[in-house]
Amino acid sequence: MSEITSPSPELPSNSSSASSDHDPDPPIQLQLPPLSIHDDPLPPPTSHPGKRNADEDDASISWRKRKKHFFVLSHSGKPIYSRYGDEHKLAGFSATLQAIISFVENGGDRVKLVRAGNHQVVFLVKGPIYLVCISCTEEPYESLRGQLELIYGQVIVILTKSINKCFERNSKFDMTPLLGGTDTVFSSLIHSFNWNPATFLHAYTCLPLTYAARQAAGAILQDVVDSGVLFAILMCRHKVINLVGAQKATLHPDDLLLLVNFIMSTESFRTSESFSPVCLPRYNPLAFLYAYIHYFDDDTYLMLLTTRSDAFYHLKDCRIHIETVLLKSNVLSEVQRSLLDGGMRVEDLPPLPSRSGSSSHLGHPGPPTDSPYRSREPSSGTGGAAGLWHFIYRSIFLDQYVSSDFSSPVNTPKQQKRLYRAYQKLFSSMHDKGIGPNKTQFRRDENYAMLCWVTQDFELYTAFDPLADKALAIKTCNRVCQWVKDVENEIFLLGASPFSW
Amino acid sequence: MGCGSSTPGRDSRQFGRDNSENGGGQDAKNLRVKLVLLGDSGVGKSCIVLRFVRGQFDPTSKVTVGASFLSQTIALQDSTTVKFEIWDTAGQERYAALAPLYYRGAAVAVVVYDITSPESFSKAQYWVKELQKHGSPEIVLALVGNKADLHEKREVAVQDGIDYAEKNGMFFIETSAKTADNINELFEEIAKRLPRPSAS
Repeated sequence: MSEITSPSPELPSNSSSASSDHDPDPPIQLQLPPLSIHDDPLPPPTSHPGKRNADEDDASISWRKRKKHFFVLSHSGKPIYSRYGDEHKLAGFSATLQAIISFVENGGDRVKLVRAGNHQVVFLVKGPIYLVCISCTEEPYESLRGQLELIYGQVIVILTKSINKCFERNSKFDMTPLLGGTDTVFSSLIHSFNWNPATFLHAYTCLPLTYAARQAAGAILQDVVDSGVLFAILMCRHKVINLVGAQKATLHPDDLLLLVNFIMSTESFRTSESFSPVCLPRYNPLAFLYAYIHYFDDDTYLMLLTTRSDAFYHLKDCRIHIETVLLKSNVLSEVQRSLLDGGMRVEDLPPLPSRSGSSSHLGHPGPPTDSPYRSREPSSGTGGAAGLWHFIYRSIFLDQYVSSDFSSPVNTPKQQKRLYRAYQKLFSSMHDKGIGPNKTQFRRDENYAMLCWVTQDFELYTAFDPLADKALAIKTCNRVCQWVKDVENEIFLLGASPFSW
Repeated sequence: MGCGSSTPGRDSRQFGRDNSENGGGQDAKNLRVKLVLLGDSGVGKSCIVLRFVRGQFDPTSKVTVGASFLSQTIALQDSTTVKFEIWDTAGQERYAALAPLYYRGAAVAVVVYDITSPESFSKAQYWVKELQKHGSPEIVLALVGNKADLHEKREVAVQDGIDYAEKNGMFFIETSAKTADNINELFEEIAKRLPRPSAS
């Protein structure tokens, strides 16, 4: 593992109005007078809201005050989805958005971004489906566009891309009935833009688990895949326990994200075993797969995906087999234990010369009940070494990331969201095609000192106390990387990953 | 309607146990039947099933996605048992094209409407026609008017249900998953009407 040898030149702070796509044509920037939307704080986040504030429309003051709107509409201007308010009442507003898009298209161009005061209006055109985000959250254009891509992906998960045929037959086709009952799926996805790093890292994360337990789960999933299943995925909440794909079948992390969001936000899957058509946009956007879904307990669930619509009873048998093996090998109880223990905590960051000793953070040969991440100093309330508050480590090779548990002082949802936004900005500036790709970046503002380090193998994003010493921060980053390497057996799914790279 | 699905499997017998596919009972005393619930979204299909299988009622509406699979065994007075393998399907329009997946091979179809919603009654008639066209010829059909506890909001007359069921050779009952009214009766009556493998 290499070390950061010298601090890199600091990047200009990211207040540029860069909005370029990697398309050759320059973005159109219309200067509009500021919208009369006020910058009020968000309502407190609700955990799994269905349609919020369905009674609002574009005439409501509350609607206009929302910080971040998402709209999906058809190319004829018919509303399909709106984050806030009743789609049907927003027909006029949708028509306006459509008019803007087609006005620019008629000029042989494409509109990507409109800035109006502190608002950004981001457009994404996907055939007959238009997606628009109106936001005053100061997120980078690339982030917002990525979020629109995910919303579109979620539509495809539910309906497949053959929905386009409906528009070919009838350009005024009303798509809303086909999305009936899916409000919670979209609101939960939009909510995850505020907390789930997978939405911009394009990577997935694993539940920390002993190597043996993860292997045991993988072996039984492999058996099932060998019997003709396309993907067998064992999850704990949003984290992967193990997943196996058929030969040559690759599962994109974004597909996993959207699939998991679809499952987790749909209450009926928890009630009993289910069998549902589902589309993986990156795998095959045109066809449904069939998903068998079963919850072993409140947190742990199994997804078996197949191309065969008549495979339910086979998949049910597979599940019974898997359940027996998981119970016998105690995997399910280890999963519960891991949930209680939590993941990596910055307070537990071991000192750097950690290679030799068999100190507690190393790939612990002890009883599996020991958490490998604790050196059991009670939390001092000031984060970890050198003012380290939090980190995210993404392995490029594995398409996986690990992030430290939130701890003091980043322990309220509001602070977590702010940190998350800062990461998003950092990620976006590191990957900015115009300036980057960058190797390292150190930036400091009134909230954090942030250090990012990108190599061929990994990306490390760290947040420190704003007063943290830069040289110490760099040292600490090396310790984090070493730590991740030391426990990689337990935090990553290693080996035969069906993900493409 | 809706969107395309991927190509259906070529040979349903390639793997998996094949005895569960059909509603045919194994012996005269212990029947196993595949039952499918169909109907508009929000009429209470899942509530009926959960009341029957688990004795529960959850007033918060939870949209079913795809289809849920549950089973419940009941004992009849003549000491036969019937194990219902129940497909509780989603009522949304996008799943309509996929319904054959669930009603194919079903011995019983329960078509549900909401007595406070004439639209759901029309939708029920659509399902009955679909089943008559594409379901198995011996399928036992039941027409169920649910939410009978909301009689002050009733918009579909009992007689309309009775008449339509009679015309189509169906068994008719009004139920309330909320109060459990007629839920067990529904399934017991279905069990009685099942064709027996050998005459008893």
